[in-house]
Amino acid sequence: MENSSIIKISREELVPLAEKMSSEKRRLIIMNGYIDKDGNNVVVYNFDLDGQIITYECIGYSTLPTVTHIFKGAAQWCEEEISEMMPIEFEGLDKSGRLFLPEEFDGTGQILVMPIDDLKKINENKGRDYSNQ
Amino acid sequence: MSYIVPIGPYHPALEEPIHVKLYTEGEIIKNADVFIGYNHRGIEKLATKRNHIQVTTLVERVCGICSHSHALTYCLALEKIAGMEVPKRGQYTRVIVSELERLHSHFLWLGLAAHIIGFDSAFMYTFAAREDVMDMLEILTGNRVNYGINIVGGARRDFTKEQLEELLKMTDKIQEPFNNVKKILSSDKTTAMRTKGVGVLTKEEAWIYGATGPHGRASGMTYDTRRIDPYICYEDFDFKAIVLEDGDVFARVVLRILEIEESIKIITQAVKNMPDGPINLGVKLPRIPAGEVCIRTEAPRGELTYYVVTDGTMNPHRVSIHVPTFRNAATVPVMLKDNSVADAGLIVASIDPCFSCLDR
Repeated sequence: MENSSIIKISREELVPLAEKMSSEKRRLIIMNGYIDKDGNNVVVYNFDLDGQIITYECIGYSTLPTVTHIFKGAAQWCEEEISEMMPIEFEGLDKSGRLFLPEEFDGTGQILVMPIDDLKKINENKGRDYSNQ
Repeated sequence: MSYIVPIGPYHPALEEPIHVKLYTEGEIIKNADVFIGYNHRGIEKLATKRNHIQVTTLVERVCGICSHSHALTYCLALEKIAGMEVPKRGQYTRVIVSELERLHSHFLWLGLAAHIIGFDSAFMYTFAAREDVMDMLEILTGNRVNYGINIVGGARRDFTKEQLEELLKMTDKIQEPFNNVKKILSSDKTTAMRTKGVGVLTKEEAWIYGATGPHGRASGMTYDTRRIDPYICYEDFDFKAIVLEDGDVFARVVLRILEIEESIKIITQAVKNMPDGPINLGVKLPRIPAGEVCIRTEAPRGELTYYVVTDGTMNPHRVSIHVPTFRNAATVPVMLKDNSVADAGLIVASIDPCFSCLDR
């Protein structure tokens, strides 16, 4: 297991980087996203570089260009998932439907971020009875 | 005549919830959509509210088949952030459980594939062999599903000399049912007719969708994490990374059969060369410093990735889990195209999916 390295990049560098990686037949292993302690969006691109994982991070953006036109299916679900779970948009991403979240879900964020009491209120408004639970 | 055939998310033939829409012309599938997310359990979110010891136990419950792979990958991530080196005997212990897990997962899939094809005698042979593997896991770890063998810094329990001898006996015992399965599934005419040329995924398509594991390797992708990015101590073992080119269901069957042989080889080498010494760095959890890392391992179904962010506290700040099915399920619509509706179940099953894993 080789030591991986993390390189910070700007949103302008992202597409040229993805094109370079694709032309060199470097695999996009996975994309991840999280919100750091300071509240910044962090989107992480992990590539395979001859058996070594090399990680690129875009920090602090609310919009990023999609790389689905370069890595197609390998990036599609990753970007859809991240944009569902975090307040971030991928410009140019074809989001024809939901991935993990329910279709009627309004808002962004992980499902469990919403307190259970709020969920009950929403469902009570829809006529569901929770009185015996 | 065009039809839309909906399957799932809750359907008697589905073991896990997934929704597939087949757009057909007569019997032939012309397009398909896959919908996931029906078993989202919020495990990633929950992990941020638990300490590292609890998270190791929690992530082991992401999947009931590759449970060891999840705990192992999480521990590897923390060990890398903390700069810990696991003692060699602990590494060998992890390899043995990893390969036993691969054996029982591959036997499970081969059995289910045989059942879907309609070959229930082959199903029974595979499950007989799988039962021996499960029994062995219970003897070694105390559990048949969630083995709990990983702790941060090594393995939880050591294997005795007698247990390792039992393990070697088990690898001999499963040879007979395995050979029967191998003969039936790789050379039987009915199996071939049902699987050859069905659900083809070309190498180019596998690359585009990032297909991993046995599913990707059956389409010519050469990535086996144990080989390209050896973790634990896989560099110590002599085994082949099996790659086939045809990309159909038959190739996926044969590839898993060949991988079973390689796993048995690895287990045998691990038992014979098991080093002496401690199995872990101690049972107390060391303070994990702030850091972040992407770790991948070769789970039975393919490349499993964990992105772990720590902040120096006892809880992880982020645990992002991506299972092989996250990659491989996206290839399902491509494989279904121009196949008959009757083959849809077999094609979906041929990726060895775990939708509960996928949804986390």
